[in-house]
Amino acid sequence: MVEALTDGLAFWPVGVPLAAAGAAILFGRIPAVQRVVSELGVVLMLGAALALLARVAQGDVVATAFGGWRAPFGVTFVADRLSAALVTVTGVIALAVTIYSRAEIGARRRRSGFDPLFLAMLAAVNGAFLAGDIFNLYVWFELMLVTAIGLITLDRRRAQIDGAIRYAAMSMLGATFILLGIGLLYGEAGSLNMLDLAERLAGRPATVTLSASGFLLLAGFALKTGIFPFFFWLPAAYHTAPITILAALAGLLTKVGFYACLRVFVLIFDLAAAPVVPGLPALIAVIAAATMLVSVLAAIAQVDIRRLLGYHIMGQVAYPMVGLALASFAGVTAAIFYTMHTMLVQTGLFLGAGAVVRANGSYDIRRCGGLLSNQPFFAGVFALLAVSMVGIPPLSGFWAKVFVIDAAFRGSQIWLAVVVLVVGFLTLYSMGKLWSQAFWKAPPRARRVLRRIPLAMIVALVLLASSTLGIGLAVEPVAEYVRAAAEQLTLGRGTGGLP
Amino acid sequence: MNILYAFVAAGLVGCSVYMVLSRNVARLLLGLSLMTTAVNLVLFQLGRNRSAQPPIIPKGETTLTGAADPVPQALILTAIVIGMALTIIFAALALRAYRGHGTLRSDQIHSAERLGDPFDGKVSDG
Amino acid sequence: MISWLLASSFLGSCAAGPLSRLFGRKASGWLLALLPAGLLAAFVHLAPTLEAGAVIERVAWAPSLGVDLALRLDGFSFLFTLLITGIGALVVVYAGAYMSEESGWDRARFFTLILFFMTAMLGAVLSDNLIVFYLFWEATSVISFLLIGFHAESPHARSAALMALRVTAGGGLALLGAILLIGITLDTYSMTEAIRRVDELAQSRWSWLILIGILLGAATKSAQYPFHFWLPNAMQAPTPASAYLHSATMVKLGIYLLARFEPLIAAVPHGRDLVVGMAVATMLVAAFQALRAENFKSVLAYSTVASLGILVLLIGLEGPTATVAMTGFILAHALYKAALFFVAGTVQHATGLSKLRLMGGLGRYLPLTALAATLASLSMAGLPPFLGFVTKEFLFQAQLESTRHEFPLAAAVLVNSVIVAVAGIVTLRPFFLKHRIRVREVKHRETPGLLLGPLTLSLLGLFISLDPEWVDRFVLNPAVAAVYGEPVAVEAGIWHGVTPMLVLSVIAVGVGVLIFIYWRPIHLTLRKRPLLNRYNVEHGYELMVRRTETLAAATARRLQRSDLRGYIWVILAAGAGFVVWGIVAARARIRWPLPGDDPVLQLGPAAVALIGLSGGLAAARARSLLASMIAVGLVGFSTALIFMMNGAPDLALTQFSVEALIVVLLTAALLKLPLAAPPSRTRRERTLDGALATAIAVLVFVVLVDLLGAPAQTEISEFYGAESYLAAFGRNVVNVILVDFRAFDTLGESTVVALSAILAWSLLGPRTKRDDVVAEKKRQTAFILTYTSRLFFVLLITASVIILLRGHNEIGGGFVGGLVAALAFSLIALADGIKRAREVLRLHPLVLAGGGILLALASGLPGLFGTGAYLTQLWFETSVFGVAIKQGTPLLFDLGVYSVVLGAVLAFLFGLQRAAER
Repeated sequence: MVEALTDGLAFWPVGVPLAAAGAAILFGRIPAVQRVVSELGVVLMLGAALALLARVAQGDVVATAFGGWRAPFGVTFVADRLSAALVTVTGVIALAVTIYSRAEIGARRRRSGFDPLFLAMLAAVNGAFLAGDIFNLYVWFELMLVTAIGLITLDRRRAQIDGAIRYAAMSMLGATFILLGIGLLYGEAGSLNMLDLAERLAGRPATVTLSASGFLLLAGFALKTGIFPFFFWLPAAYHTAPITILAALAGLLTKVGFYACLRVFVLIFDLAAAPVVPGLPALIAVIAAATMLVSVLAAIAQVDIRRLLGYHIMGQVAYPMVGLALASFAGVTAAIFYTMHTMLVQTGLFLGAGAVVRANGSYDIRRCGGLLSNQPFFAGVFALLAVSMVGIPPLSGFWAKVFVIDAAFRGSQIWLAVVVLVVGFLTLYSMGKLWSQAFWKAPPRARRVLRRIPLAMIVALVLLASSTLGIGLAVEPVAEYVRAAAEQLTLGRGTGGLP
Repeated sequence: MNILYAFVAAGLVGCSVYMVLSRNVARLLLGLSLMTTAVNLVLFQLGRNRSAQPPIIPKGETTLTGAADPVPQALILTAIVIGMALTIIFAALALRAYRGHGTLRSDQIHSAERLGDPFDGKVSDG
Repeated sequence: MISWLLASSFLGSCAAGPLSRLFGRKASGWLLALLPAGLLAAFVHLAPTLEAGAVIERVAWAPSLGVDLALRLDGFSFLFTLLITGIGALVVVYAGAYMSEESGWDRARFFTLILFFMTAMLGAVLSDNLIVFYLFWEATSVISFLLIGFHAESPHARSAALMALRVTAGGGLALLGAILLIGITLDTYSMTEAIRRVDELAQSRWSWLILIGILLGAATKSAQYPFHFWLPNAMQAPTPASAYLHSATMVKLGIYLLARFEPLIAAVPHGRDLVVGMAVATMLVAAFQALRAENFKSVLAYSTVASLGILVLLIGLEGPTATVAMTGFILAHALYKAALFFVAGTVQHATGLSKLRLMGGLGRYLPLTALAATLASLSMAGLPPFLGFVTKEFLFQAQLESTRHEFPLAAAVLVNSVIVAVAGIVTLRPFFLKHRIRVREVKHRETPGLLLGPLTLSLLGLFISLDPEWVDRFVLNPAVAAVYGEPVAVEAGIWHGVTPMLVLSVIAVGVGVLIFIYWRPIHLTLRKRPLLNRYNVEHGYELMVRRTETLAAATARRLQRSDLRGYIWVILAAGAGFVVWGIVAARARIRWPLPGDDPVLQLGPAAVALIGLSGGLAAARARSLLASMIAVGLVGFSTALIFMMNGAPDLALTQFSVEALIVVLLTAALLKLPLAAPPSRTRRERTLDGALATAIAVLVFVVLVDLLGAPAQTEISEFYGAESYLAAFGRNVVNVILVDFRAFDTLGESTVVALSAILAWSLLGPRTKRDDVVAEKKRQTAFILTYTSRLFFVLLITASVIILLRGHNEIGGGFVGGLVAALAFSLIALADGIKRAREVLRLHPLVLAGGGILLALASGLPGLFGTGAYLTQLWFETSVFGVAIKQGTPLLFDLGVYSVVLGAVLAFLFGLQRAAER
């Protein structure tokens, strides 16, 4: 393990948005100020993330021991390559959403607390990515839950309240699973620091408590990730939120759930080399495959663009789950790469959906149309994102998919590889329908003239689309980085690599 | 003794599960609040109830000896407060939902899932 | 060199759109054609160097993934590059004339797509790295999709485009799988390597998967049975696109791939049988459908499918002649079929008719088009001295030489005769035969742009066979050598004397003529058979689409029953199931706690615990919500007692105040709700739930017992116990953990509380004047309560401050302090109404919360700048009345927490009560 060098650098990606959130609360009455605060906060946060990335990319792990208490006694933030990358992606997404919000989040929504909630959510997400202590991770999950509920119910529409009730009820169950799992883990191993736990658990015999803890954590994280059969809250709640918020949630929250799986199961339970808890990979494989099939089928049936994409969130986050299930170094690498890719693309697609709605005035794709001839540039950008999700080269989605399939073949899990390919086909099917409906078909009589799409939306979309294209073209350095990240995550216990 | 505590904690979890499964949102709320308590009781077992002496360093001494395990207590303290916050959020939600629908039946509070439902006939807008 | 050509082609395509706007309606076709023409010239210029051997270039892209832009120009690629660029140039010219009526935007779009397609094709036939090959392969599929759906307002075009995309891209995925397997087996993605080490592939356990993947990719792309149906539908594309993509180049990409991997087909047992079988089926079905089709373009489309079948057949047959015939036929077919498509386009353009049956006597209006059509058809019919004749000779020769000739040979003859007939049908009928229906006038005359393409191509079909010197030397021979692996002597003479091949040709032509004469009756009788419609593959495709949609709908319905109880049930059951599975998989025995370290059973605590449990049961069974709530509260208080009796006074205190607050707040909320809650579950559901609850309880119990049996690990607690006073200057270890050791958790958690306050505040709606008035009215002032409440208020506030201050050393701390203070205010609110409470508070509760967060955050900064670690608590001596007391940042931190909790709880309280009073 690379020995961590201690300094405050890892704190800022959380500290900045937290402070901004606090300030935004104080200025709760003055939307204009709130907006400035949150835009400033997001930019600074991205800066902090980039600084962290630059440091971590040199190979050393940055750890911040809060209160100066050395691990495992104090709470620490540990920024290895994985965390730094995800924090940076979060920063990019936050920036895009903030730009976009200029076009959709008005004074009313700011007055009812958009900025503090959004900033605090960012803090929570980064906190979860950086947490080196599993209980600390739990705290950030709770903060995410609260802020997400707040954001979903921002307009206090009936549907939003209902959605929030469902979301809250189920997520609280998930949080309970996680809390119990953490408790049992402490009761068995007597530590909360993840690295320390990994060392303590290495080579332990399987015990009832340990297995219970492992599978409770799996259930809890799977729920947060929206994995079958725990996903019901996602299609029930997400689509009720305003698109800006929806995009942020889509890009960030479920991915944090998966990140937790990755961190906990690969680092603590050492899935990739010598599983401490038997039976994990098999179960993960099954639920991941089920999620992919079920969600893409459900997506095909949808006519409301928010619901349609909502199901695709589930489907997409299941791909990295497959990588995890393979319990191999290649699998972990694929999972990391896919996570980064899908965060960017999901956000982009939802922002794009928002633009579609802005132009057509309807969420129902049967009522949309004519965007290709009417907004060719936007159509191109959206197509780029959609195609990236489908997995057409040379976009990031293609490589992500290739890594997963390749890892599956290498693990001679042919059935998983086949499932991934079939689901890829169905994703194409669904996206083709969407394109034909919203972009090709002539718009219905009622809306011959399409409203023009604000510049802010286009800029945000271009930011994300260019990032997926960039990753796709500059795949070499990214793949190198991700492989190194996997090395760190598996503490070098894993071996092997991609062709 | 601990077995008894374990039994009670498990039993409370069971009760909360039963309540959470109700279709009455208010009952669901109470169930969740009960579940938080029950889980805290479960977590309390992490300390194995070593001793009844609170983890407070007596005057004149500099280190703690033979007291209860402070760590689970700290965790539970955090969990209690978070649980309270969530319970009350849920209460607020339930209240609003009741005002919106005039019912507490969760299967009649479903405008979220009707929104843009492909089988619902009516076209979805906002 | 090659890479530059590719790059310039790409850049040119990027510029095409704006340029076409610039050049305008008339000129754009001709000027944009310069790009492909220039590329053609460049490639022709490369021909001599090619004789020496393949040209190879390598541009690094992602070496660690084994992916780089390895470009390789050998004879076979060369043949394709000539077709792509040459026909590309003609297509662009033709399109310029053909689309002269379309809007500028449409033309720009079309040119861009066509040129990008050309680039993609070039990339595909040039790239040696399979991943890069796949990249371009998919690109052609996507562009074809966009071109078929070019006239997107027509639903037919849209569905045809989707069909093509689903079929070709679906096959593409299979191909991708095969490519990855090749990469895994050989550890390289180089195509040449893969073909050189084909035996390893054949021996590997993946061999069949690889072959199937490649076959699926090729069959979908090259419209082989049973995937052929998308091609005739693809005729929805503008005619220039059909000529280019769907006859001359793209559909031959699958042939290209198969030809390259011919060694693999040979090496895998029964590989050849599979391919030949597929080819023959394709040929027969296509020939049959060609006779049924009624549109000019669809007749051509089906004959294209037939020709593709012939090409695949030739790949399937072994022996050098087959390869020769294949390469020759690729060239010949590209020339005459593209020409005929141009002709079809011109006719449609001129007459606006598409049904062949309705055309006649067009020769008068379109003489030169008629000429081109005639020449192309003669080549297609395979009459000497046209190129088609030569290649057909080779086709038959190859079949006679091959080991398996009976059935395929018969099929080939039959299909060729149908092709002859089609050649006649598409030329003689529309242009020369005068039958009852005859076209009276045409909308557009022929223009140079419309003529260049068909004439050039059809004439080439003649000249090449008359003077085959250059083509033989620079195109066919190298191509054959590249595919077959070693050079083969090809002499493409026209007259070899009376050979069996010639006889077969004559038979084919004879039968063809007969079919042509009786075309109309045959055609009509075949069309009359609805059964044939029902049982073709296209119908199967539509069925499959419908199935997919219904399955999707069913899944969506099943997933979202919109019954929260159902969801929760599944979640809990699945969670429990996970744990059970885990315990089973662990095969571990339960560790019972040793009697020694289990504290003896005391009556008091036991009684309290059991009371708590009974409270839980009561809560679960109670009919009325109020009763249920009280029971839950009972559980809370007994839990607090349990904490108290087991050395956790801090927990006890917090639990007490939390329970008290929850009771206060929930009553505020519940007052609004109907207290009598009729059972919302059927008896059966309740028993189910009871079962699940019991199961989970048992599970928890088992796990807990095992946990209690596990040895406790206490290093960390011991460290805290040891350091708490000496290093962190606090006697209350729990509090020290909260504000120092694990202060960061506390920070995050206070944020949770603060944010939930905002949430509740905005949920319950901002305060209105009306609320206060209502509140005033509602309030029944009881002076006793008010006075006592004031008294209590003062007491509680002071208590909270004391709890806060001494927290670090005694029981207490920021949380409890905040809660107690909140209790104080809630008393005021209950007694004198919110308005009064807020007057007492002065500050806005949210301001308290936000300020609290900032304070807690800020309290960490001195540590950061002092010692470099955030939240490092600093201490300093202050003396109050001469008594030295340690003060430090923990106090600030705790103060922050205090105000967060206070603000949050009050936000809840005010909000809820306001909501309740509404």
